[in-house]
Amino acid sequence: MSTVMEAAGLVFQPYVLLVILGSAAFGMFVGAIPGLTATMATALLVPVTFFMEPVPAIATIVTATAMAIFAGDIPGTMLRMPGTPASAAYVQDGYALTRQGRPESALGASLVFSSMGGIFGTLVLISASPALAEIALKFSSFEYFWLVVLGLSCAVFISPGSPARGLISLMVGLFAATIGLENPAGAPRYTFGSVELMGGIQFIPAMIGLFAVSEVIRAFIKRGGEVRPPATSGRGIFREQAHNLVTYPVQALRGSALGTAIGALPGAGADIAAWISYAISKKFSKTPEKFGTGHVEGLVESGASNNGAMSGAWIPALVFGIPGDSITAIVIGVLYVKGINPGPMVFITQPQMIYAVFIVFLLANLMMLPLGWVAIKGARQVLSIPQKVLMPLILMFCMVGSFAINNSVFGIGIMLVFGIIGFLMEENDIPIAPAILGLVLGPMLEQNFVTSMIKSEGSFIAFFERPIAAGLGLFTIAVWSIPLVMWLLRRRPGAASRPQDS
Amino acid sequence: MRVTDLTLGLLTLLGGIAIYISALDFQAIPGQSYGAGTMPRAISFVTVLLGLFIVVKAVIAGERMPGLRLEEWTRSGPALLRMLSVLVLIVVYIVVSPLLGFLPTAFGVMVAAMLILGVRWPLALIVSALAALAIQQSFGRLLLVPLPRTDFLTFLW
Repeated sequence: MSTVMEAAGLVFQPYVLLVILGSAAFGMFVGAIPGLTATMATALLVPVTFFMEPVPAIATIVTATAMAIFAGDIPGTMLRMPGTPASAAYVQDGYALTRQGRPESALGASLVFSSMGGIFGTLVLISASPALAEIALKFSSFEYFWLVVLGLSCAVFISPGSPARGLISLMVGLFAATIGLENPAGAPRYTFGSVELMGGIQFIPAMIGLFAVSEVIRAFIKRGGEVRPPATSGRGIFREQAHNLVTYPVQALRGSALGTAIGALPGAGADIAAWISYAISKKFSKTPEKFGTGHVEGLVESGASNNGAMSGAWIPALVFGIPGDSITAIVIGVLYVKGINPGPMVFITQPQMIYAVFIVFLLANLMMLPLGWVAIKGARQVLSIPQKVLMPLILMFCMVGSFAINNSVFGIGIMLVFGIIGFLMEENDIPIAPAILGLVLGPMLEQNFVTSMIKSEGSFIAFFERPIAAGLGLFTIAVWSIPLVMWLLRRRPGAASRPQDS
Repeated sequence: MRVTDLTLGLLTLLGGIAIYISALDFQAIPGQSYGAGTMPRAISFVTVLLGLFIVVKAVIAGERMPGLRLEEWTRSGPALLRMLSVLVLIVVYIVVSPLLGFLPTAFGVMVAAMLILGVRWPLALIVSALAALAIQQSFGRLLLVPLPRTDFLTFLW
């Protein structure tokens, strides 16, 4: 109990609460602007968190992302332009409601059920994490090796596009992680005599480049663009939600639970959760024909799901130090910078920190209700800011943020290189998230792989000798072999003669 | 700027081979068979297999020659210039900011970026000046980031 009180003491300070309020407003702003994602909100905030204590730093990111995921529904509903990819699944229903003159109905459902999904995910996080951490304490390098490989494999298979393209992205990230002196032999790799490269690829400028600069380049090609959103009164947002809760309790609960579970899966994030929940909602609905025509049912389920995933993604991040999505990958980078190594030991050495994170999650999801109401009321103004004014400001913010990490323009150079790489990758439908996970998990993978190989004297059998390691290993092999077997079966001569099968 | 699957496969394959060759000289941990070269070699192994897989798949699908599919924007001169301008502006900031200081460089870069995107002169000047000042005050003064200073503007720090 004293740990919880200590954690509450860390959170309920005027400075931390102000930071939460500020980052909530920032998250709402970024999420509400089409094209700017929750990940980008995190990327832009990281340089600021660099100067904070760990608790306000984490609070900043948690609050901003929770708000951005909800705020992404605002332009989706009003303009049919999802603010974040997580809102894309149900944008058709939200926009149809706006055309029927009921934007408040759609936005109210998004707001209330987003908050509900987030709180559900947090409760799961609170109850499951300590128990999982107990188990994780018994893990050796073999289990961690498989866990990292499993996480990276899920990132490859779940990311949009083909698994082959996801794997290319992962290799880009893993290769970038090999640069520098930090390796088992302490030998310089790919440094070309540069002192700055000896420190390795700085994670934050690379991530700003991959996510934000590539987006700025795309906006420059399209030359910004202006939009005219409809007016919203903000009245009646909460009125219909009690009725929705009574009508769709199963959907709300199913969305929250599934979202949390998908979020907890390494590599899968809020966007995938929203798409799957929308599909499930339609499949089990009594009125599937109404989906896409302004029906609130799918909105309730997938709205709860994407915020549930946001919380769920923190389970593997906190317990194993393995990120559940690109946002938690960034957070893990921030925690390392703060000297906190996420993993089961944090639950023993710094339990107050973990409880502080839980409190921040609950606070962020509760604050979403009043702040979301304000955001919906002021949405017209935010959405009216032309991208051609906004993008140059974001570009400058990216450069200053990349500079601030090491107080060197070298960081801006890294940002530029990764901005070009990110742009070219997305032009070729190569997803970015696996590259980020590869960059973050590369050192952990290498360390556990080399340690295990030395311990086993080069024998791969040792990777399957311990029960949990064997289970994780077999599961990972199944993840890889099932799609390959299915592909080969599809290519059988009999299958090839049936064009509809291929 | 989209490469065909066959090109992507070949590039991946070449990348894998390049990583393998570059990793040959990396030292092992003294007394062990593993070390700095283990991970790059593992990456190169997967990358080569992946490249081969994509090439084979592309050939089965009927591709015979590597190629490049140009998107619509690459055929538009202004769009191409705007794309390149982002990269040039970043390079300009890297080179010029240590010489001129943060405020004039940031102001210049933002004005140029806004004009490229079609923002009118007065608005571009006002927004850029306010934004440069706001960033300098928040990062430079509040967060103590040593943004490069300008001699005649030191009173702002």
